[in-house]
Amino acid sequence: MAQQPLPTSAQPTDIYGGDEVSALVLDPGYCNTRAGFAGEDVPKSILPSFYGHITSDPPRDLFGDECIIPRGDFEVRNYMNKDSVVEDWDVAAKMWEFMLVKRLQPERQTPPSKNGLNDDVKDQDGEGDVAMEEIEGQEKPLEEFPLLMTEAPWNSPKAREKAIELSMESWGTPAFWLSRTPVLSAFAAGKATALVIDIGGANTSVTAIHDGMVLKRSIQRSPAGGLWLSSQIRNMWVTSEPKVDLIPTFMVENKTPVDALAPAQARLREFPYKIHDSFRAFEEERLLTEFKESVVEVWRGPGRYGAAGNEEYIKSQPGRVFEMPDGYNQMWREQRFKVAEGMWDENAGYPVPEAERLTKAQTIPELIRSALNAIDVDLRGNLLANVVVTGSTSLINGFNDRLNNELTAMYPGLKIKIHAAGLSSERRFGAWIGGSILASLGTFHQMWISKKEYEENGPGIVEKRCK
Amino acid sequence: MTSSDVRDVLNLPDGAAGGPRPSKKAKITAPRPNLKGLAREVHNLGGDNPIAIVPEVTQFKKRRFVSRKPAARWELRQFANSGRKDESLVLRHWRRVEEGKQSSSAEGDGNVPETEDVEDSLYAKYNVQVSVPQYNEDQYHQVLENPDWTKEETDYLMELVRDFDIRWPLIWDRYEWSPPATNGEADADGDESKAIVPATRSRSMEDLKARYYEVASRMMAVQKPVQYMTQPEFALHELMAHFNPQQEKLRKDFALNSFGRSREEAREEESLLLEIKRILARSDRFNEERRELYNRLDYPHAEQDINTFKSSAGLQTLLQNLMTADKSKKRKSIMGAEVPTPSGQPTPQQAAPENGRRDSAAASSGPRESGASTAASSAHKKSQSQSQQQIQQQQAQQQQQQQQSQQQQLQERKKLTEHEEIIYGVTHHDRLGSGPTFRTEKINKLFSHKSNQQQLRITNTLNELDVPAKLAMPTAATTHAFEQLLASVNSLLDARKITDKIDAEIKLELAKKAEREKALGNQDAEKSADAEDDDEDAKDESAEADEPSKDNDEDGAAAQPEDDEKEQDEDAAPSDEATAQPSVEQDDDNADEGKDGGVTTRKRSASVLSAVSDKSLKRQKK
Repeated sequence: MAQQPLPTSAQPTDIYGGDEVSALVLDPGYCNTRAGFAGEDVPKSILPSFYGHITSDPPRDLFGDECIIPRGDFEVRNYMNKDSVVEDWDVAAKMWEFMLVKRLQPERQTPPSKNGLNDDVKDQDGEGDVAMEEIEGQEKPLEEFPLLMTEAPWNSPKAREKAIELSMESWGTPAFWLSRTPVLSAFAAGKATALVIDIGGANTSVTAIHDGMVLKRSIQRSPAGGLWLSSQIRNMWVTSEPKVDLIPTFMVENKTPVDALAPAQARLREFPYKIHDSFRAFEEERLLTEFKESVVEVWRGPGRYGAAGNEEYIKSQPGRVFEMPDGYNQMWREQRFKVAEGMWDENAGYPVPEAERLTKAQTIPELIRSALNAIDVDLRGNLLANVVVTGSTSLINGFNDRLNNELTAMYPGLKIKIHAAGLSSERRFGAWIGGSILASLGTFHQMWISKKEYEENGPGIVEKRCK
Repeated sequence: MTSSDVRDVLNLPDGAAGGPRPSKKAKITAPRPNLKGLAREVHNLGGDNPIAIVPEVTQFKKRRFVSRKPAARWELRQFANSGRKDESLVLRHWRRVEEGKQSSSAEGDGNVPETEDVEDSLYAKYNVQVSVPQYNEDQYHQVLENPDWTKEETDYLMELVRDFDIRWPLIWDRYEWSPPATNGEADADGDESKAIVPATRSRSMEDLKARYYEVASRMMAVQKPVQYMTQPEFALHELMAHFNPQQEKLRKDFALNSFGRSREEAREEESLLLEIKRILARSDRFNEERRELYNRLDYPHAEQDINTFKSSAGLQTLLQNLMTADKSKKRKSIMGAEVPTPSGQPTPQQAAPENGRRDSAAASSGPRESGASTAASSAHKKSQSQSQQQIQQQQAQQQQQQQQSQQQQLQERKKLTEHEEIIYGVTHHDRLGSGPTFRTEKINKLFSHKSNQQQLRITNTLNELDVPAKLAMPTAATTHAFEQLLASVNSLLDARKITDKIDAEIKLELAKKAEREKALGNQDAEKSADAEDDDEDAKDESAEADEPSKDNDEDGAAAQPEDDEKEQDEDAAPSDEATAQPSVEQDDDNADEGKDGGVTTRKRSASVLSAVSDKSLKRQKK
């Protein structure tokens, strides 16, 4: 898409804004971390932010989807916390390096000192090692690539400083920039001023962007994202009659087809070692994601799901069948709407423990309302005419229709225009794509924080520059 | 060696058909395509079926790349950006190798070019900074002092303004001024504590703007006195110096209100706006029309002297001129038009020329119409005769069709037949009164010319006839009939008046006669009896004369007889000539009544007449 050159008629006549400097873009999130080259339309490397950790001696970390397999002494961890802020910086550094260097750069020739060909038993002494380490230290992996990183808008200054430090010190990037995800999502939608509604994995945030800058007072967030939806589905399965057992795919050895609602007939796999809960949870999440993708739907309106007559209407509509990995299958009708309704209406949805329950202020309409109330009245109309929806969870069927309905009900006199990318990849990687656009712009060269500036000002410069 | 030889060698059956082979000579006679560059023997191998040989193409497929120039070279070139604060940042991008540099960079693959020839970015020029007013300590104390703002906070504001390029929403959003904890000696407030942290006050965007504009305008004036400013500078200065935060706040409140409108309010406002638009459009149109009207009323003034046209001769010449001008035009509007016949009734020839459609329409509706007209007013002799005429005309039309068709071409204006004239209500008059009149007015006139008593009598008569005094539907036909009815009523009343008069005279004569007899020497007793008889007679007569009105409303007309008598007496005295031929008149009237009026009217009037005749019978008896 982006790689194809524009036809001559569509090319801008005055100036082409792109001027690529082979920058890298890194967009970490709670569920996935995305990395790729600026100027491309999708990230080259997408890995789950979960990583495998081998607890046996020596402890090791394994990165990448293909490493997360059932094995002994193995647990799955995440270097991010549920606020989409980096928690474990050591692992984050390893993970990012793995993605940026191992996944994006060609294999480097092992330096002659290390490749074993020049090994001479006599020369092997401590001094030589030190000298080699020095040489190695001079050669940093990303010395030719400016790096643009994204962060949650509520990221702490300390974490931001840590990021630039990591980039400059350990990877030796010549230039660095830290940008907030909603800004980049707005850029991906081609807008400098927008109200960005980001329905992500762990978080849902509503942020007003004015002229390419986050309006800090408008930032609103709530846990009503993909994970929250998963917990709703779990609740639904537990409370439904008959109870649905959540058995992830890896546990099923074979299965025989059964009728709907009949108990599953499957032989489960036996493992000679203990499967860690974290691994099982990770695998369960995969199954839940599949369920979300294929079954869950948002009640489109008019009105809320709980309004009189709506539930009866849905019950009369055809449902969707979902087959669990163990063969159990069931038709889901009104439940599939009810699951997602809690995002919109705090009283709807399935009962969850008090801690996980959304308050009224955490529902999406209320987030939007409070975000708008926190900004100048002159901007509100314009922002409502530029609503950008991004994030994977917004891909649930009917989400945009419902959002549009809610917004028109809330602000009846105003023009409301929702911009949601049609391509699922653009919705999933909105922030990354925005970063890719930004980092490949010619006018962005003046913005980068250069290595020299970093050296002069220290990591505090990121607070000063990346506002 | 031919194909048959080959077949022999291979023991193949001869030919496909197996029939007798055509002679060699016949084959030879057929012209063979002479292919060059092929041995005759090889050619013969094909036998009957000539070997298919693809003609040699002298040219190869076209080259894909016409230009033999080497592929364009690209190099990873370093560049810097002079728009940056730190110009030392050198980034690399792919650029086409220019001709001159080709040799130097061709070999150096991993070689990093020297930093001297680092080019500047194309985009450096886009890094523009806003200019924010600068001031120093002294200037601040001289002109910028404000009780609401400390210098630190003002500095902070200016810094934010510069950082965010005067984008107020952002400035206000990021404005987090926390006054430094002051210790006593620096601040004038007091020195009791070491660290007073003043309460942070939230500033509205208007406050920030007001302060900034204040600073900016004052600094402008400091740097360049107002009188030396150029026009745009002065305008900017004025604009900033007169910034009104209150007004801005009001405006925002208003915007907030309109932001929170409900759907109904929004819809109402929308409809109101639409209404306004419509009203404006309408008034525009109205103004336009009015202007047009004024233009039209603004008649063109005569340029020439009009005195020549003031005399009748001048007018005559003018008319002549106009006629000739009209003639010269293709359309004959004046000359071609029919001069209407004085009788107002078109001659059959005039009426006949019609287009076929109109004719057929008239023909189809003809019988129905005529029937209706006779039913409605059978007394309408005219209409009957007209309808008869129409029938005749229609017949005449059919006969004269051919002649008329010739005339049709001559006559441009369509002529209505009489029948159609009735249908369409067209009438012809010798003279028309000025302006339009109502038909009811015409009838009212008949009333209003009479005296009150006469009016009363007419209405009484009409009441007796069950005809309303006001016509409910004054069509031409009914008005006509009503007029005739009123005329006959009038004549009836006249006739009655005359009979009364005559009766009175007779009475008088009888009295004279009696007196004469008395003078002749009759007995007193006879005289007195006679006189009484006469009196009675007179009373009877008067009573009889009032009979019709009494018939009408028996109890209401008690006072009338006396009035009548008086009037009759008054009338009788002066008009001696009128009495001369009363009977003749009466006859005429009766005859008229017989002729005129509808069926019902006639019946009624007949009863009236019978009453009158009864009276005369009585009289004769006496």
